[in-house]
Amino acid sequence: MRLKQTLAALLIVSTTHVGFIQTAQATMIGTEEVARAHQGTSRSADDARAQLNEAFSRADVQARLEALGVDASDARERIAALTDEDAARLAGQIDKAPAGGIIEVILFVFLLLLLTDILGFTKVFPFTRSIR
Amino acid sequence: MAVQPGRRRLIGAVGGLALIALSGCATQSTRLHDTPPAGLPRRVELSATPFHPQEDYQCGPAALAMALGAAGIPASPEVLAGQVFLPGRQGSLQIEMLAGARRNGALAVEIPGTLEALMQETAAGNPVVVLLNLGLSWAPSWHYAVVIGYDLDEGAFLLRSGPMARQVLPFSTLEHTWARSEHWAFVALSPDRLPASADEARSTHALVAFEKAAPPARAVLAYRKALTRWPDSLTLSMGLGNSLYRAGSLAEAETTFRKAAQQHNAAAAWNNLANILLEQKRPGEAREAALRAIALGGPTRGAAQDTLQKIDASQPALESKPDRRPRKQRKK
Repeated sequence: MRLKQTLAALLIVSTTHVGFIQTAQATMIGTEEVARAHQGTSRSADDARAQLNEAFSRADVQARLEALGVDASDARERIAALTDEDAARLAGQIDKAPAGGIIEVILFVFLLLLLTDILGFTKVFPFTRSIR
Repeated sequence: MAVQPGRRRLIGAVGGLALIALSGCATQSTRLHDTPPAGLPRRVELSATPFHPQEDYQCGPAALAMALGAAGIPASPEVLAGQVFLPGRQGSLQIEMLAGARRNGALAVEIPGTLEALMQETAAGNPVVVLLNLGLSWAPSWHYAVVIGYDLDEGAFLLRSGPMARQVLPFSTLEHTWARSEHWAFVALSPDRLPASADEARSTHALVAFEKAAPPARAVLAYRKALTRWPDSLTLSMGLGNSLYRAGSLAEAETTFRKAAQQHNAAAAWNNLANILLEQKRPGEAREAALRAIALGGPTRGAAQDTLQKIDASQPALESKPDRRPRKQRKK
């Protein structure tokens, strides 16, 4: 019962979303579309399906962002800032793309070099004396 | 134990190969030492770039705040964290770093992955955000830092990185750690500026994404600037027209689309011109423009036919309700 309700709600949300894209795009042609046509990656007659895929990849990314600890309203805004191409790319790599954030490594590298200095493999620090 | 002459030669060959393999990784640095790039100063340091020391895993927000600050857009790492930090990954993704810069009104452009490009940008006054892998390829430690200059005599780049306000990193060290991210880097610029090192394709790509995320008035500014350098670009003209339209400047949007339609005879430009004319209650001219778009065919033919339908459907409605407010195009 619960599942059915959720499914129905999801379907309503996703289909209305697609409908909205279609009405908004139907008459004015967006710059993204022009750029795509210019690059020779223009869409075929299957426009509706492409839009459906897009809506799904956006919904997908939003769900993943929230699962990875991003606040729901922040996630919505972050999705809105992406181009169609980036949204699709992000959907495919959100769990494995490089996520820059490390700071510990600077300390780690220091300790590693200190160790290799002491073992005599390197000579980075003036104050180390090799045990060999 | 004496080494046989044959073996000695073999060891020499292996050693030589190893040396070539090692130096092969830092080819850019070697070239820079031998022939420094022409037309660039020996030393650059953008010391006005603000410094935000990194907290926990948040080098992404910190690096972005520094780049935005240098572009004249004050931003705090705390606020940016909500826009680009991904707690579950303990870091920030490249796509989101670019989108985050754009949302805050900066034109974010990916630049070529060469040491020369880093020098060109900093020499032009643009700090560069780089993604480095400070660890190993199989045990990565991804880290964002901001290149704020270089010193050819010292053979080093100057960075704001993590807790360090001024890190001096030798050319070859930067090259090695940068290569593991496939030399990924971007500049975040005020929209009235263009990158020093990026070509038309990269810049256009960045502008289209900027239009998506930034306020329309800033997109107008950026497209205008880019059109001064690449006046023959249909995409840039269309972007300018669409941004003007979204900013509510119908008359200027009309001029832009008309010019693009005539210059490129492009169906998309005729179609959008038709829409603008219709909104200005000029259905006759709009119809003409829509028919031209349809006649040109191509992938936008369907959209042009929809435009024509809208024009034909609007005419009786216009008579009965002459004060109908123009429809705003909505962002999807």
